[in-house]
Amino acid sequence: MNSFFLRNPSTLWFLMGLGLFTIGVTILSEAGIGFLSTSFIKILGKTLCLCLIAVAMDVVWGYCGILSLGHFAFFGIGGYAVGMWLMYARTEGIVLDSLAAQTIPPTPQEISDAIGNQIFGVVGSSEFPLVWAFADSLFLQLLMVVLVPGLLALVFGWLAFRSRVTGVYLSILTQAMTLALSLYLFQNDSGLRGNNGLSGLQNIPGFETTPQATISLAFFYASALALALGYVLFAWVVSGKMGSVIKAIRDNESRVRFLGYHVESYKLLVFTLTAIIAGIAGALYYPQAGIINPAEIAPIASIYLAVWVAIGGRGRLYGAVIGAAFVSLLSSWFTGGGAPAINLGFYTVNWTDWWLVLLGLSFVAVTLFFPKGIGGLFDYLVRKP
Amino acid sequence: MTTKKSLSASIIAGLLASTGMATAQDCAAPIKVGVLHSLSGSMAISETTLKDVMLMLIEKQNEAGGLLGCQIEAVVVDPASDWPLFAEKARELLTVSDVDVIFGNWTSVSRKSVLPVIEELNGLLFYPVQYEGEESSRNVFYTGAAPNQQAIPAVNYFLEELGVEKFALLGTDYVYPRTTNNILEAYLMDHGIAAEDIFVNYTPFGQSDWATIVADVVALGEDGKQVGVISTINGDANIGFYKELAAAGVSADDIPVVAFSVGEEELSGLDTSNLAGHLAAWNYFQSADTPANAEFIAAWKEFAGPDRVTNDPMEAHYIGFNMWVNAVKAAGTTDVDAVRAAMYGQEFPNLTGGTAVMLPNHHLAKPVLIGEIQADGQFDIISQTTEVAGDAWTDFLPESAVLKSDWQTLGCGMYNVETETCVQLTSNY
Amino acid sequence: MRRVFLFLALWLGFAPALQAQDLQSILQIHATEVADPGRRTVNAVLDDLAVSGLSGVADFLESWQDKAVWQRADGQFFVAAEAGNDLHLTDIVSGAQSTASKANFTQIKPNGGVRRVIGTALVQFQLTDPDLARRTTAVASIARSPNADQLAPLLASIAPEPDADLRARKVQLANFLSASFAATPNDRIAAIDNMAQDTSVEARAVLNQILTVRPGVAAMLPDNENVAGVLTPGQDMTPDAAYSLLVAAGLAPPRTPPGVIRAALEAHIDGGRVADVPVAQLNTNAMRERAYAGLAAAGRVPPLVTPSDRDAAMAAFAFFEIYAEADPAITDAAKRALASVETRVAAGQTVDLALDALSLASIYFLAAIGLAITFGVMGVINMAHGEFIMMGAYTGYVVQLFIPDYTLSIIVALPLAFAVTFGAGVTMERLVIRHLYHRPLETLLATFGISIALQQLAKNIFGTQARPLTSPAWLDGAWVFSDVIQISYIRIAIFVLALIFLALILFVLKRTRLGLEVRAVTQNPGMAASMGINPERINMLTFGLGSGIAGIAGVAIGLYAKVTSEMGADYIVQSFMTVVVGGVGNVWGTLAGASLIGFLQKGIEWLNPSNTLAAQTYMILFIILFIQFRPKGIVALKGRAAAD
Repeated sequence: MNSFFLRNPSTLWFLMGLGLFTIGVTILSEAGIGFLSTSFIKILGKTLCLCLIAVAMDVVWGYCGILSLGHFAFFGIGGYAVGMWLMYARTEGIVLDSLAAQTIPPTPQEISDAIGNQIFGVVGSSEFPLVWAFADSLFLQLLMVVLVPGLLALVFGWLAFRSRVTGVYLSILTQAMTLALSLYLFQNDSGLRGNNGLSGLQNIPGFETTPQATISLAFFYASALALALGYVLFAWVVSGKMGSVIKAIRDNESRVRFLGYHVESYKLLVFTLTAIIAGIAGALYYPQAGIINPAEIAPIASIYLAVWVAIGGRGRLYGAVIGAAFVSLLSSWFTGGGAPAINLGFYTVNWTDWWLVLLGLSFVAVTLFFPKGIGGLFDYLVRKP
Repeated sequence: MTTKKSLSASIIAGLLASTGMATAQDCAAPIKVGVLHSLSGSMAISETTLKDVMLMLIEKQNEAGGLLGCQIEAVVVDPASDWPLFAEKARELLTVSDVDVIFGNWTSVSRKSVLPVIEELNGLLFYPVQYEGEESSRNVFYTGAAPNQQAIPAVNYFLEELGVEKFALLGTDYVYPRTTNNILEAYLMDHGIAAEDIFVNYTPFGQSDWATIVADVVALGEDGKQVGVISTINGDANIGFYKELAAAGVSADDIPVVAFSVGEEELSGLDTSNLAGHLAAWNYFQSADTPANAEFIAAWKEFAGPDRVTNDPMEAHYIGFNMWVNAVKAAGTTDVDAVRAAMYGQEFPNLTGGTAVMLPNHHLAKPVLIGEIQADGQFDIISQTTEVAGDAWTDFLPESAVLKSDWQTLGCGMYNVETETCVQLTSNY
Repeated sequence: MRRVFLFLALWLGFAPALQAQDLQSILQIHATEVADPGRRTVNAVLDDLAVSGLSGVADFLESWQDKAVWQRADGQFFVAAEAGNDLHLTDIVSGAQSTASKANFTQIKPNGGVRRVIGTALVQFQLTDPDLARRTTAVASIARSPNADQLAPLLASIAPEPDADLRARKVQLANFLSASFAATPNDRIAAIDNMAQDTSVEARAVLNQILTVRPGVAAMLPDNENVAGVLTPGQDMTPDAAYSLLVAAGLAPPRTPPGVIRAALEAHIDGGRVADVPVAQLNTNAMRERAYAGLAAAGRVPPLVTPSDRDAAMAAFAFFEIYAEADPAITDAAKRALASVETRVAAGQTVDLALDALSLASIYFLAAIGLAITFGVMGVINMAHGEFIMMGAYTGYVVQLFIPDYTLSIIVALPLAFAVTFGAGVTMERLVIRHLYHRPLETLLATFGISIALQQLAKNIFGTQARPLTSPAWLDGAWVFSDVIQISYIRIAIFVLALIFLALILFVLKRTRLGLEVRAVTQNPGMAASMGINPERINMLTFGLGSGIAGIAGVAIGLYAKVTSEMGADYIVQSFMTVVVGGVGNVWGTLAGASLIGFLQKGIEWLNPSNTLAAQTYMILFIILFIQFRPKGIVALKGRAAAD
């Protein structure tokens, strides 16, 4: 292990940075001196989850050369899987409380009906759809956070890589996949509350009395830990012999195949592994966001993911982290009205309106002129002295 | 058990918040009103108008001397039509900006997103848009129409005045049309319409290919019954729908269409000369002929520009804001629980005539208007009821019929009248 | 009924005694009904007006229907026309003209239902009116609310009718009325037989009305009724539905729902037990039923209807349907006619569905055809293609702002949209794509950036609200083959436009110098350059051409649907899939792809008509699978051209 970190000093630097950041945030938070509000802790925790999926995206795109425009689908699935348990368990608590007041003890059917009515009443139903079969078990739902994205990626990847669908075709296909999934979830008949999605996820069953300040800090730690572990895992994957093969596939797939490597297996492994990590990131993200709905996994979300990685710098894991953190925080600063409007005399540039134009164009500029992204700046720093 | 604990926690939180607010009374700081409407993204077109109307109302109130001797300050944030962002911004408003009340949201999913936050922090939200009901939160006042204040009267109009015997319920696939149509189906069956005489169809947001659906609706007439369309189609999908109706030569005399989401703004996207006679149901139309409305429209045009139109949710904010101001005056404080108690029974004149009353279930009693589309894109009001009391839980679905919301005396938004117990104190989000 | 009889009486010259009164005083008697008419209350007014036989009645009714009657504060009614803040008043009795301020008057607005009733009352006056428009209105009124009394006047009006179309319509309507209301069964059967070819909704409505059934239940099948058929519970209806029929007929006791059982148990808790079952054990349905049975045995609650009770009750009775029409000969004729009509309707619906699918395919084709050139032929991924469609549509909108004549504005908008997007395409090719020809994934991302920027730019300029793009009047309406088969002219226009572009592109690529050079540059730029072709120029022109066509597609799509900043995004994924499914590098492939997607989507919609979203989802899933198994698309290129 020692030698792994020695060979990858950037990983060590990253872990130290992340550790310092976590400690710093703890001190500044309401648990410490109270400089950072709970809502800002939630933003930071969510950003860490976005960094995690960006790292996964970097591995699949920056290292393996598969431009997946569908990884947010896996992120969303992770969120839905954990969200189902959160909703079910919270509602079950409410329903049991209310039914306990009756003179006659409720039948299992009555309990299930009442929970169903609470969850699906707002979308005009009370039946439990099949996908909710395991919603009462935290363990099984957590298993689904890993299994469903993994299996979906495995099947999709197996079909696609087997037919040698590569390059832009694969990108369009992955985009079609996330579009199909979001359209499916938009339907009320999908059994996941359609456009409304799952809400109230910030209320963790069993911790009703715990203030959100504590819960958000706990999720912040969990996100930081997940990011650290995910980073180390991917740093390990892309270093060493397997990493070389993966990078070789990116640079010249046919040549690697001629050398006798089973290219499809490597690609499938990377695709599936990153999908699973994306699912875990989603499972940590949505309890902090409080609500998940199909708009979250619309194709545009996955495109933004690619934008973050490209701006941060492909082919280096810390680049993805920088890109995700920088662009998403900057985005919320600009769209949140944080940026002052610029008065040009004849026209006032209002950043809520113009931010996306700027983002789109800067993205073009990065692709054309700075293919290494922000991460490329570190090369200067390292080489100059 | 667990909910009771969380309730006591939230009460404590509320008390803490109220002691914090008491210092605002000596006017060291102005009274803060949060405005939580999307200024960018897909909902911006609808919600920006509501932000503007709030700014206008606050300006007028400040000109009239403010509130409790303090100036009112608007805190405007942009949740960017992004539902998780609504929750984030609501938390920011309540904890960072310390606002006393929030006026905001449009669409149910955005409301469901902020509900847990508002209830956790004991905030106060005024929601101005027509919605599907089946919800009651201690911390939300619903100034838009519940289904019984829009959908049910419109269906009654179809049954009574137009003699419609067969219904096509067309909607966009999301919660408002789904729930509204469920309620309407139950209501129609209670009124002797057979299940096979109700055709339901859901289309995605922004649907543009309407030929087949319009043909299906026309074909409904093949058993000789009068067909009517109840449309909960949302946003710009309406444009393709009305264009296809016009192309197929479906006149309002043959198959009337009543819409719940089409207002003056939506009609500006198409040529209405072929659509004259089709209907919309709201609590307010710009064409309402009263002195109060004329004054409001004049003030609005002066504030926002001569081309701007007024619409139903704007009236809801107008009533909601004025009621809140009166309630704060009556309570002598902006403390949420005190203001809430003072809200019940508040009366304020509607722009369409009559008086709106705030009921203990946090809904208004308002008149229901039905308007016919005219060639100039405005509505001709042809029917106006007396005030209808908003009903949080519909009487036409068996699960909801037993529920009642009464925060004033029962202190519960989801009270089961059969078992006489309170199902829950938080709302169902 | 009475009213119509009186109208007839009037016609024959029997003027009743009421004639002495004037119109205003009759209206004053019914002032509330006139000022605020309801569909069910308005008849009282209409009856009295009819009885009066006054000459101004018809004119008054027409004004009333057109919302041109106003009431003065003192209750007097006037026919009035608005002029600013004033009203031009016409006294309804004397016809005297005057002008007054609006302030004292309220407009009377009869609703749609009332207007229809007034329309029916007006039929008698309008059916033989010299004005063709009035006669047409009258016929339309009869069609909307047919009743028996209209048959005779309608028949009488056929012979003198000068307008051929209207006469044909009158004959058709008279036939419908005869089928339902003619005096003798033979006349009715003859009329019904006449309708066996008529696929119109109205004809089917008449036949279905004759065949209206109501369910019945009795110990034996009745022999004095026209029985439509016997129903077997479990096959034709659910056992529960059958049992509720029995309950409704008072032939069986109602079943006890679970809620009632629970309430009964709650009401009879006795020392922590209900009929010897401890309350704590009542948490299963079985235990609750046992406790309830115990209560029933003690006679404290009515007994439970068990499933075997239900089945026994159902076995004892016959369930059947009875025609409302008593004469079996007529219902048989109607059944025959309807069967024949429905075969035709089914065939018609298939054709209509095929037309819709064809139309959808042509829209997809039009949206994708620009891509077929930039992506298919050149291999450039342009994710901003959708935004070019949007730019075309907005160009059309802007042109309409300046040129109010819709026909002229479309004629101007089409080439202008081409020019604008051609320019945009060329600019983009020069500035961005040229640098990325060997990095297709980067092209994809860069053009996405442009797409995001353009979309937001459009929002900043035009707002997020949909903008109107109105088609010229000659594209309004639909080509109606029958009530079943019809397609709007705008869709036909799009179909024709798609065909024109198909031909044009094939011509340009296969028959012109430019096409030859394009193909040469695409296959081997180095070799083409050495033959004297300037590849950069060709790439620029080809890309411009593809983008320009997207602009024209935008105008067409805007005409049929809507113009918003997001309209391009709605089509982009589908367009790419159209090209990929069809087979890259081949315009015919794009056509095949668009047809497959269009027909497939309509097919899935037909299978599940209540959920259009599901159709889109399953279509995309199908395409994903299709590409997995046939990655080169439907029309796969062979040989060297197929190499990437």
